[in-house]
Amino acid sequence: MKKNSFYLLVGCIALALLALFWYSVEIHNPFVIETAFILAILAIWYARKNVTDLIDDERSAKINEQAIVRTFQVFWVLFCAFSIGAVMQILYVPTFPREFPMVRPPEALGPRMMGYFQLGMLCLMIFLYVGFRVYYARKYGDWETDEE
Amino acid sequence: MRNKIKVYRAMHDLTQEDLAQAIGVTRQTILAIEKGKYVPSLDLAFRIARRFDVSVEDVFQYDEEPRTVDID
Repeated sequence: MKKNSFYLLVGCIALALLALFWYSVEIHNPFVIETAFILAILAIWYARKNVTDLIDDERSAKINEQAIVRTFQVFWVLFCAFSIGAVMQILYVPTFPREFPMVRPPEALGPRMMGYFQLGMLCLMIFLYVGFRVYYARKYGDWETDEE
Repeated sequence: MRNKIKVYRAMHDLTQEDLAQAIGVTRQTILAIEKGKYVPSLDLAFRIARRFDVSVEDVFQYDEEPRTVDID
């Protein structure tokens, strides 16, 4: 498979996933998109293995590795900060003196908000990865020009 | 780390693309090494040196930072 065909295939898979996501929302069945997502990743991985004109050398591997490491570092900080807040809600301790009937304070992070937060994190990770990828590609001379 | 890849390429009449294909990397990697933007692994350094039939030390020179010595 040629490089351009691979990129075209990835684009088609992304569009199909988007359509399936919408379908999944319409029928209220998350398993459709979840299964489709795993299958799509497997398909992309298999197609990537069969690309003949895409050289993956040690420099591009290093760029990828650095970008992934930095993205995960940011991810862990944000994820931990969010999780601490979520755990705080689980460990609700009433203040003293106790008032009856006990009124639990309204949840700052309901299930819906958590869903939005996860979606936001996912988008942020994608943007961060692309940003770090560009940064390290520049650092390791991806856009250097020569007299040749 | 300094290197003489450009010099050896000229001596062997090789383009960056030729060298890249011979050692299985991209032209951009050769360019990045030549410009000192990327320090190759030991494996890649040996492959480059082997292509020119010279030792690694002939192609790559380690720039040792000047050490400061305290003199009382």
